[in-house]
Amino acid sequence: MLLANNISFYRNNNIIFKDVSLALPPQKIINITGANGIGKTTLLKILTHVLIPKKGDIFWNGKNIKKNLFNYYKDVTFVMDKQTSNINLSVIENIFFWKKLFSSIISKKEIDAILDLLSLDSYRNTPINYLSNGEIKKLELTRLVIEQKKLWMLDEPYIGLDIETINLLNETFINHTKSGGMIIFSSHYVPDIPNIENLQLENYAQR
Amino acid sequence: MHSVNSILALFYRELKISYRNFSDILSILMFFLLGILIFVFSIGPNTEMFNEIGIGVIWTLILLSNNLSLRKFYQNDFNDGSIILLHMSGLSYELIVLIKIMIIWIFLQLPFFIIIPLAAILLNIELPNVNLILISFLIGSPILTSIASISGSMNLLNQRNFAIGSVIIMILSIPIIIFSVGIINASEEIVRAQLQILIGILFFFLAVTPWVSAACIKLAIQNK
Repeated sequence: MLLANNISFYRNNNIIFKDVSLALPPQKIINITGANGIGKTTLLKILTHVLIPKKGDIFWNGKNIKKNLFNYYKDVTFVMDKQTSNINLSVIENIFFWKKLFSSIISKKEIDAILDLLSLDSYRNTPINYLSNGEIKKLELTRLVIEQKKLWMLDEPYIGLDIETINLLNETFINHTKSGGMIIFSSHYVPDIPNIENLQLENYAQR
Repeated sequence: MHSVNSILALFYRELKISYRNFSDILSILMFFLLGILIFVFSIGPNTEMFNEIGIGVIWTLILLSNNLSLRKFYQNDFNDGSIILLHMSGLSYELIVLIKIMIIWIFLQLPFFIIIPLAAILLNIELPNVNLILISFLIGSPILTSIASISGSMNLLNQRNFAIGSVIIMILSIPIIIFSVGIINASEEIVRAQLQILIGILFFFLAVTPWVSAACIKLAIQNK
């Protein structure tokens, strides 16, 4: 369970948002919505402790994440708005790097299946700088399955994806929540998934 | 066990990327050799003089080529999000810095052990002196890599002023130049003492760099 208490964030003495609280029990999805520049990415970065809030605490399973950071990270997958695949390496090399980095027990067969499902199979040995934006995003999303963690955080996961992949992603979300996982993502698009809750960041902005 | 795997994974990835960009390393070596040649041409055929100033010329060019490696450290991993990803896999920023320093030392400084004797031939430096250069370079090169790491991490947010990174490297490198070039003119008893001072500087930088660079990276991530 993820709990955030009264998080406030300031940038150059300007309030971005104030007193945001959220609770995310298992099998639940939170969709952070709001206009551009309202601080969706910032909130996600605060929840992963990449940025440090001015006020407020975040608790994972009852423990403050500040003091148990690496224990918290063992349960979180964060898909950022940017690519984390290295452009000098090929698709499969990036995947194996992630697999090893997170000591994942995913098998080769499963990786093949994912690549097949995302139709990245023919690009296996292609370096990332020859891929299109959508394909890079798809590759980024494979990390959700590779890392095999409980809490998924995604920053604008739908950008650049085709309809087929969006449906696939929604299906993955549903399966993940069914097996006790938790998801937070930010998006302008509200998908049709059960157990989803909207967090409107406009309510916390000081304008 | 988990973090050992992560360290190995990062090490392997960095090796692979450096190997893919091998032409980069070759061009840095070319820069070094061409710089030596330019010195040879500009000073003229005065072999005695070369024996005197040769080691200084070589060390100056090592410093200048070290500047070229500056952007190889953290810039790419910082611009995409991979440095955050590495951190989230359970590696502290300090450890990431240490691994980066190791890899860059292997790929950018080790080749100099082959190229320095070549440069010494061009400059007509006597054999015992070549040995001294190599020993001082063995101790001095990790210091240079550490300094480049500090400078590289300090300039992560800096998108405009590229020269300032080189300036920082130059300033921090002054003690290394003094003690490594000083060896050649020192009398035999002092050579040991000079090398020991150099080793002292090396340990100081190895101890300090991970924390300094990690602090700079954290600061850069906070302010992005």
